Amino acid sequence: MAQMPALIPKEVEIQRLKKIWLIVIAMGSTAASVEVDNFVDGSLHQTSIRDSAFTPAHWWLYSHFITLPLGWGSVAIYDRRVPVLRGPNNSMNTGLKMTILGYLATMFTIGVNEMWHFWFVEEIFAVPNHWMFNMGVVVAFMGALAYVVRVYARLVELGAETPGENPYVAEMYKMALEGKLYSRSIP
Amino acid sequence: MTLPKGFGSGSGSSGADVEKMIGRRVENMVGLITLSFIAAWLATFGGTAAGYFYYPWAYPTPSGHYAFIVLTIIEAIGYLFSVKVVEEGSKKKSNGIIAAALGGTAIGTIIISLFVGI
Repeated sequence: MAQMPALIPKEVEIQRLKKIWLIVIAMGSTAASVEVDNFVDGSLHQTSIRDSAFTPAHWWLYSHFITLPLGWGSVAIYDRRVPVLRGPNNSMNTGLKMTILGYLATMFTIGVNEMWHFWFVEEIFAVPNHWMFNMGVVVAFMGALAYVVRVYARLVELGAETPGENPYVAEMYKMALEGKLYSRSIP
Repeated sequence: MTLPKGFGSGSGSSGADVEKMIGRRVENMVGLITLSFIAAWLATFGGTAAGYFYYPWAYPTPSGHYAFIVLTIIEAIGYLFSVKVVEEGSKKKSNGIIAAALGGTAIGTIIISLFVGI
């Protein structure tokens, strides 16, 4: 991993990265809860084939379509204060770009979905109007993963992350910081 | 490399400049995080209760209690991670606040699941 020059004092950067990390934890909690609601909503649809957008299981499910775009939007605004997270040509971070584009696709599909269900009431998972929901969310998650890994790696680089107590893990941290973690398998 | 005044770790930036750039330090946000956790927990109760009081045909009380318990656990894990992240590397320890918040919500969740519903 390239060691980036610090454009802001280290302590300031650690504090700002941790504030981003707090938003990420809040969004992660929401996403984890929605995984549970996949089962809650699935069990509801065993008895109710096409219900309404406003059943409690759907409030819960759709909450992440609100929380995650707003959360990533907040990160995108705050992210400008951490120079190391800037993307090419001082643009937005590439992972964040992918995340926001993914959620824009999902938001667009909400309208498409409602229009489709105006004519076709059955709620089959694989119908075409659902495709872009899934593709958008996957693109968003890929970008988010890239961004979160970058933030975490930078916290490790700055020494803000406590090294593992296990000597083997501590050695891996050290090698990762020196860019030698994969040198055993990739000479 | 020449940096604007107040930037960089070399000369030109004083401790006061750094403090101004940081603003509120994350290790001083434990109270805010704890209040947010309790607010999220109360909102979770409100959401699930609205489900089983107003839409009992779509959302029976046991489903609401199941959702409330699972969400409380997930919120508690997020709360714990948040406090541990902000206090890592500092001398602050808020284990008492964490124990009180998690214990209080755990007891509250059990009482609500036993006695609230239709």
